[in-house]
Amino acid sequence: MSFSLMDKILKNVEKPTRYTGRELNMCIKDPAKIDVRFGFCFPDVYEIAMSHLGLKILYHVLNLRDDTYCERVFAPWVDMEEAMRANNMKLFALETGDEVISFDMIGFTLQYEMSYSNVINMLDLAGIPLLSKDRGTNVPFVCAGGPCAYNAEPIADAIDFFMLGEGEDIICEIIDVYKEWKKIPDHTREQYLEMIAEIEGIYVPQFYDVEYNEDCTIKSITPNRPCAKPVVKKRIMSDFDSAPTPDKVIVPYGDIVHDRVMLEVFRGCIRGCRFCQAGYVYRPVRERKADTLTCLADRLLSSTGYDEISLSSLSTSDYSQLPELTDNLIEMTEKKKIGLSLPSLRIDNFSLELMNKVQKVRKSGITFAPEAGTQRLRDVINKNITEENILSSTAMLFRGGWTNVKLYFMIGLPAETEEDVEGIANLAQKVLDTYFEIPKEERAKNINITVSTSSFIPKPFTAFQWCRQDTRDEIIEKQNLLKSSIKSKRIRYSWHDNKTSYLEGVFARGDRRLINVICRAVKNGCRFDGWNDHFKFDQWMKSFEECNIDPDFYLRERGFDEVLPWDHIDIGVTKSFFKREYDKSQKAQTTPNCREKCSGCGASCFGTGVCYE
Amino acid sequence: MSNYVLKYKRGNEVKYISHLDFVRFIQRVIRRAELPMLFSSGFNPHPLINIALPLSVGVTSDGELMRIGLDGDFNEQFVMDTINKTLPPGFEIIGIKKVEGKEINFNKINKAIYQCNCELEKETKVDIPSFLSNTSLLVMKKSKSGIKEADIRPHIHSLECTQEKNNITLKMCIDAGNNYNLKPDTVIEAMEKYIDGFKTTFYAVHRCALLADDAELL
Repeated sequence: MSFSLMDKILKNVEKPTRYTGRELNMCIKDPAKIDVRFGFCFPDVYEIAMSHLGLKILYHVLNLRDDTYCERVFAPWVDMEEAMRANNMKLFALETGDEVISFDMIGFTLQYEMSYSNVINMLDLAGIPLLSKDRGTNVPFVCAGGPCAYNAEPIADAIDFFMLGEGEDIICEIIDVYKEWKKIPDHTREQYLEMIAEIEGIYVPQFYDVEYNEDCTIKSITPNRPCAKPVVKKRIMSDFDSAPTPDKVIVPYGDIVHDRVMLEVFRGCIRGCRFCQAGYVYRPVRERKADTLTCLADRLLSSTGYDEISLSSLSTSDYSQLPELTDNLIEMTEKKKIGLSLPSLRIDNFSLELMNKVQKVRKSGITFAPEAGTQRLRDVINKNITEENILSSTAMLFRGGWTNVKLYFMIGLPAETEEDVEGIANLAQKVLDTYFEIPKEERAKNINITVSTSSFIPKPFTAFQWCRQDTRDEIIEKQNLLKSSIKSKRIRYSWHDNKTSYLEGVFARGDRRLINVICRAVKNGCRFDGWNDHFKFDQWMKSFEECNIDPDFYLRERGFDEVLPWDHIDIGVTKSFFKREYDKSQKAQTTPNCREKCSGCGASCFGTGVCYE
Repeated sequence: MSNYVLKYKRGNEVKYISHLDFVRFIQRVIRRAELPMLFSSGFNPHPLINIALPLSVGVTSDGELMRIGLDGDFNEQFVMDTINKTLPPGFEIIGIKKVEGKEINFNKINKAIYQCNCELEKETKVDIPSFLSNTSLLVMKKSKSGIKEADIRPHIHSLECTQEKNNITLKMCIDAGNNYNLKPDTVIEAMEKYIDGFKTTFYAVHRCALLADDAELL
């Protein structure tokens, strides 16, 4: 009798089902009969990773291929990492338990900047050299995609190639080329990268030379070989209605964050909030038909046994077939005793009626996102919602029996004044007043208003990409001002940690010089930076110092003529559009949404979606 | 509506699922099988599923029991086959009985048989009869009111040992159930305390059967 190392390790870690796989609907293949073994890496713990829709889609797309086996690879939690390192156990995939270093390719999804330390740490755990230039032919290719890939310059040196935009098609194209490349005698890594550099949407960082000015700003980004395009354009799925989507998904044993069927209703957003990267990078808006979604919902419910279904998109209220879809889903869910959750809805008569119809609605916790405290500042950021909208919606909610309202704002927005910060408190007070204006017998008891602020972080590919980010002290000052402006005990205030926002800001608009800092920070023990308990700000600051890099440099205002680290990436929306949007923001002028009037952002170049409705 | 008692196995592949996760898992299994679950009445209806005795994380089993309520009258074999078809590897329903009222009462379970494969730090002579001849076996045991010293000797009904060098296999019948639940881990702990040189480096626990009045319920 002998026990496996895994059994011995799992006896002493929390939540062992994070590491054992074997869940329902897991894809099982014989690795011996496979040409390409792909590890889909999510740089966070199982519960977060398994909640990610992109993983489910690409897992499905890759495993539809007989020649490919896509397995899942997640960041082991700190207790597991300790046990693995103590036992010389390398990073493994959940499906087979095999070490990922033996794979052909591994791909990271970059969902948030604070996961970069986990990417590097996972490479280290896998036994793969951290930097692309140090990798030989015997280790897998390391690629990456996801929203942060649009400016992943801070970890560019660690990634062999990026896939920009939506991955369903491109991921198959690079696998096809991989098989071709394998047949070439004496093939080299460089050869493969040159072959795929021809594919639209592939960005190979090492094929671009970055030169810096004396003040550390970028002088130029130049392709260093013919196959590298001067500008790499993102990919999208032109026909989203028929884009591949799984009709069965893995059902985890443990409790994950989004433990339900997720229906992706549409991609993109018509709104154009000037701070919102997601609102720009996923353009143009493309919808799935209500009928397609209804069939999909039915198939997913029967293949998973889930008892809850949720719609997934940005700003779900903008879905043009929402009434039809929700009618269908309500009928289905009532019959099957399934819960339906509808996030991201604007509050109006339609959605209120809808919420009353839907089962399992707890009359607590409705979140509004006015984002800014005054109308002027809301116009600056193009959040087209008025005070009147908010007050009439909250009045409707209070009359409908809701008493828990959360108001979400950002502080540190461009051109923000004290008046704007105080405006947050005033708006919350007016919401409270609205409640008390309603006669007692028409409202529920115990009103509770929560004001929550996060700190604004200028992101690439937004109208505010040139803006300065508030310092930590400025943020703290504004948080204190807001605290003292809130007078009522019924209004609670919660705020976001300024240290995390600070670092996120550095990486969001960072350049290639940051890779040394990230590798150093990982050596210094940084990982799981998105988790408050594990975030080691002091170690990060120490690492910046050791690498002689001033993080504040990345938070400064940038000139319009400055070369931005992401200037060689094309998301469809043009720089000149962002410039126009920035100028309008300075004059507090709003821009209509895509369905009201086209503003010529450039996304029509993809020849599909809302631009051609 | 009708009630069914199911006997099932949990293998290596699924031994790390916690009890709470397992209950949720079973609900999904029955939904997938498209068997109409019965729900409790009340403000927050939940499916009528009852697990006989929670299995600890890491333990495999050949004889677990659960009771489910279904809205309708189905053939036993049909229910068993339908559920088995939707189970992932590692789980298997091996017996089923349609029951009325209190027939097959999980509260009557008072013993369980376990098999533990242990790896010893070094080869040690394991004298079970002399271990069992202790009039009391005092170990620290977790109970509802905290951890305190308890005598587990009266709760061990049989203990056998086969040995091959530093690997031993223990087979034990011990008290289990709502009245008094003894974990095999606690028996091993007692052996480490009372048998000279006996020290495990690792062991795997397997539950062979749940007993009520020395007989299996199904």
